[in-house]
Amino acid sequence: MKGARMATAEGLDRAVVDLASRALKAGAADCVLMPVEVPAGDSFAYVLVRDAGLLERARALPPVMPVQGARALASFTGTMAGKKTLAVLRPCEARAAVELAKLEQVKLDSVTVVTCDCPGAVPLAAYLADGGELPAWTGEPTARPICRTCDHFTGGGDLHAATLGQAEGSALLVPLREKGSALLEALGLVADADALAWEQEAAKLTATRREARSKAHEELAAEVAGLSGLAQFFGNCIGCHNCRSVCPVCYCRQCYIDGDSWEAPAAEYLGRAQNAGSLRLLPDTVLFHIGRLAHMSLSCVSCGTCEDACPADIRVAQLFGMVAARTQRLFDYEPGSDAECAVPLATFKEDELHEVEA
Amino acid sequence: MAKVLKVEGGVEEGLRKLLFDLLDSGQVKGVLALRRLDEKGAAAYSLAADPATVKDILPFHPLMPAQGGRVLSRLTGTEGFAEPVAALVRPCELRAFVELVKRTQGSLENLLVISCTCPGVYPLSASLDGGLGPKLETYWAAAAENEVPDGLRPACTACTEFVPYGADMTVSLIGGRDTEVVLNTSKAVEAVGKLSGEIAESNGDVKAIEAMRAERGANRKKLFEEDSAVHGGLDGLVKLFGRCIGCRGCREVCPICYCDLCEFVSRRSDLTPEGLQADLSGRGALRLPPGTLTYHLGRLAHMAVSCVACGQCTDVCPADIPVSTVFSRAGASVQGMFEYLPGRDVDEPLPLTTFRTEELAEVED
Repeated sequence: MKGARMATAEGLDRAVVDLASRALKAGAADCVLMPVEVPAGDSFAYVLVRDAGLLERARALPPVMPVQGARALASFTGTMAGKKTLAVLRPCEARAAVELAKLEQVKLDSVTVVTCDCPGAVPLAAYLADGGELPAWTGEPTARPICRTCDHFTGGGDLHAATLGQAEGSALLVPLREKGSALLEALGLVADADALAWEQEAAKLTATRREARSKAHEELAAEVAGLSGLAQFFGNCIGCHNCRSVCPVCYCRQCYIDGDSWEAPAAEYLGRAQNAGSLRLLPDTVLFHIGRLAHMSLSCVSCGTCEDACPADIRVAQLFGMVAARTQRLFDYEPGSDAECAVPLATFKEDELHEVEA
Repeated sequence: MAKVLKVEGGVEEGLRKLLFDLLDSGQVKGVLALRRLDEKGAAAYSLAADPATVKDILPFHPLMPAQGGRVLSRLTGTEGFAEPVAALVRPCELRAFVELVKRTQGSLENLLVISCTCPGVYPLSASLDGGLGPKLETYWAAAAENEVPDGLRPACTACTEFVPYGADMTVSLIGGRDTEVVLNTSKAVEAVGKLSGEIAESNGDVKAIEAMRAERGANRKKLFEEDSAVHGGLDGLVKLFGRCIGCRGCREVCPICYCDLCEFVSRRSDLTPEGLQADLSGRGALRLPPGTLTYHLGRLAHMAVSCVACGQCTDVCPADIPVSTVFSRAGASVQGMFEYLPGRDVDEPLPLTTFRTEELAEVED
């Protein structure tokens, strides 16, 4: 693999902003979607920008991920007929975007995605309270727990800005897909530098992370074994459904659990209370989570936005990521890696899953 | 002078006995109240049907994991109770439920409503990881001294509507006298008539209520006049809601926001190609997903008239935005315009659905 050298003397953010500005000037993009510091300076938000000047406070990799980039993409790509967008996303956001494209919620035709090697994000609540820096690759871990076991921290975009295995002050722009190559060409950049150092460093770290992830999953699986384990895990859940609302994959305007079929007359609730002695309210806490897992785990990219949004400090992302790893393994499916590979939920095979037959 | 039931053993023990007796004797078939989740102070609402489960009830535990009005609406929104059920709810939860009843989202049928003079609740964050247990002693001591306990929800410290309207029974939690359950209705008198317990006449601790009202009123004035969240115009709102992540948790937990499909999630609120073009040409940029402020201001327009200032919205916000301060301030303004207090009277019509040819002349040119 080869890439084009990119100087990052003033930091990666500056370099990516310059790249985006040049893309706008060269007409390779009509707009740029990037995280930008909000007016109060206390957080970041995705902004679709037409004028390069407005990228002054943009960051390629903010310390936090308040909104999942794929969700930002989903809110407008349907309206962008004919306009070219350059979107700077974290790898998990890029993968979620691919999943959403398969679910017809995002149009990626005229979007060129640029990703960077991601060391993770810090927990949102902690950042809003005390500020913070982008986590470092080594040393004391400050990234969210879900980030610490992430094995998809590199690649994912059409063009990838690799910093792993690179010298200080330098990054490698590696085209991973056709649109990535087209962007390099439009910018007059040539992919003539060897990418081996990046590939090797990334592979090494991926292996370490995979081991950590397996271990974490094993421990968590033991903790939540059985319905009582799961009920205990979601003990403090208040049913706010923030986890669902911020999830990029959960795109339904009206969730199944908010529909008419779940409404019941008072006598039915009293009946349920009589059967069990008492009925916790609002009802169906665990059912909601199991239902959501059943609906979206195949496309879960373990981005962790759900856990950031939970007001009850529940380790939602860690649980969902653990279950997702298993359901995805069942179908040998990797969300976001291949736009041509349909989501297993939408694929019927007559001859499969014999192991669950009676 | 009102009829009161004197309760022995303090708030927790005494009220539990009352609830047990009501359930065990068949006076009610169920009791809606907060139930203990662990030994550390976590709790959740539950509908108890078996008297044996009453021992886990924490009557008026200072936590509001779900808004009681919303819980009652979930239970009775389709069809009301056919048999008597007792419900322990705080004044703001009862007011919210009454607002929902006006909107045909709930029924007061067969409900024995037990409310309280409310010392307030702690934010959800205070209850996580064992935080609430250690606070309880201080909490009840402060309530007995007519003082606002430290560390409560900001909405509670500024709440002047802590005496319930329309409850069948009101438990006196504020003030240092023995726990009294004021029997406001004949339904209440009948319900306790068959149980053991001394029924007396009492004037209540008026001084305690007035002292609490004075302290809270001063806090409210301060919050509404000085809190920067409330002032600063549109620019101020842009800055404040800048860190909003669009989770819509504020709407989800709000008792008044009952719509299955919110206007601001519906297709009507989607970005159109024309809208996108206009924003890009006009301003050069557009924050995505769009409509952060539109959603908040729109929600204000829809529900401010019924906002009971419970503070559930601030509690759930993952971005630590003081939503309740902004919304209740706007709510107070709107309600003042119509001389309306949400939940005060179930027969009082909603200003939103009441047309008068002669009104609001001040907004005409």
